[in-house]
Amino acid sequence: MRRLLAGLAVGSFLVAASACGSSGGGGASDKNASSGGTTTVKVGVIPIVDVAPLYLGQQKGFFSKRGLKLSMTTAQGGAAIVPGVVSGQFQFGFSNMTSLMIAQSQNVPVKAVVNGVASTGVAGKDFGAITVKKGSPIKSAKELEGKKVAVNTLKNINETAVRESVRKAGGDPSKVKFVELAFDQMPAALDGGRIDAAMVVEPALATVKSQGATEIASSLVDVAKDLTVAMYFTSTQYEQKNPDVVKKFQEATAESLAYADAHPDEVRQAVTTYTKIPAATLAQVTLPKWPAEPNRASIEALEKLGEQDGLFKSTPDLDKLLP
Amino acid sequence: MRGANAALGAAGLAAFLALGEAVPRLGLVKEAYFPPTSRIADALGQEVTEHAFWTALGDTLTGWALGLAIAIGAGVVVGLLVSVVPYLREVTASTIEFLRPIPSVALIPLAVLLYGTELRSVLLLVVYASFWQVLVQVLYGVQDVDPVAEETARSYGLGPWARVRHVLWPTALPYVMTGVRLAAAVALILAVTAELVIGAPGLGARIAVAESSQAVPDMYALVVVTGLLGLLINVGARTVERRALAWHQSVRGEVAV
Repeated sequence: MRRLLAGLAVGSFLVAASACGSSGGGGASDKNASSGGTTTVKVGVIPIVDVAPLYLGQQKGFFSKRGLKLSMTTAQGGAAIVPGVVSGQFQFGFSNMTSLMIAQSQNVPVKAVVNGVASTGVAGKDFGAITVKKGSPIKSAKELEGKKVAVNTLKNINETAVRESVRKAGGDPSKVKFVELAFDQMPAALDGGRIDAAMVVEPALATVKSQGATEIASSLVDVAKDLTVAMYFTSTQYEQKNPDVVKKFQEATAESLAYADAHPDEVRQAVTTYTKIPAATLAQVTLPKWPAEPNRASIEALEKLGEQDGLFKSTPDLDKLLP
Repeated sequence: MRGANAALGAAGLAAFLALGEAVPRLGLVKEAYFPPTSRIADALGQEVTEHAFWTALGDTLTGWALGLAIAIGAGVVVGLLVSVVPYLREVTASTIEFLRPIPSVALIPLAVLLYGTELRSVLLLVVYASFWQVLVQVLYGVQDVDPVAEETARSYGLGPWARVRHVLWPTALPYVMTGVRLAAAVALILAVTAELVIGAPGLGARIAVAESSQAVPDMYALVVVTGLLGLLINVGARTVERRALAWHQSVRGEVAV
């Protein structure tokens, strides 16, 4: 038995040691390691196209020339990112505006610092859309009354957007049956007839289109022109303690966003480094817009709609939330 | 006898793989969601050439091994303590029965709040799930000690430590090994689940990225890898069990046949 225990101990030690040797950003880097004037910040992101500018900016040295090193951690969905930032495991995170406003209205200490991603603002050519199966009798958002529509998260930005599309088309959004489904499961569900319509974003949108599905509304465009969909944020505590790091992060990210907006091919290349989107799909993907500044008017429009749909307990304070 | 079994096993596997190839090709299920075996194999071949794949495999194994080691250590120590001190057993019995059925995955929100996407999140879930497997087996094992043997040891003047070493431990060991084997499998399941749901680095997180990237064959390839890993762990645990219990009649009997 002693031999067995020793064997187990040695075995697990070896595995641990070899894994530590090879894992890059696996979790070995600590919170605020600064060496030689470089500050390492952890950023919680979602492995989607939207955050490509950060990877690209890191490659191009926009962060390192300001003394920042990003350690990107991909989390599945925003659910792990907001608590991660608030509890200090991440210094920055990526989240959609509705989630940030919900957090702010519940007095969760979050502070948006720099723009994340925006809709293209062009109906029919956006990175998110309501789609119906090939040959579906549904031709407009109005006809979604009484139909099953999939959104990735109930009571969040995409539900607000679909409701607004239905409203704009002259329908009653309260008659739409919303179901929660992950974006990547929507193509199969739509194809199999389990849902009547799906609010999808890239790269699932490209997959859905390749199956012959048709777009009936560009919901993010319906919410507001050039809608600011998501932003990078930090905790109010971190912002107060490290104003210079936040400022550097803002500047470097703004530069990265501008660069990404101007170099779509490099963006597509950067996406392959952290996702597994097949090349054929990636070529079909509609890229979002990456303006350096958030569009406050569009965020106010999103807030009004969210309030109308009862998403917030109290009105979010945008002056406190936005930079 | 062994050769024939192996041949039958290989034939079964081959038939299964052929079925996996044929069903999508015949259009019985959509190729887009259920790619044929050959395409999954291609994706697997591509995976193993990537450095990031081995990093992910290492991360998963680290979470598994560390979590399992902690769970076994804690399970054995706590189990022995609780069962040797009668008073402790009375105090803890209902608490154990209350905590044990809580599914580890129900602790995911807690893990996220405490540790985010770090390895510690995975460890929390893995240790919680596999600890009970070991603990309960240790408790059963100690209960199984022959009172006559125990009394004999006492009357021969063996001290408490010697009684644990020579009477209690050999009786409990087969139970402990069963617990370890169960815990090894449970630990892998929880490690992959934690990575998949929370996004802690590892094979599970890679499956999730493949899924959200619409890279279906890659996703299946990674699922196959986790399956193979489970198989290896089970074979490994059985080997360890056989070695550790080579003196025990259950194993000796098996060998004699």
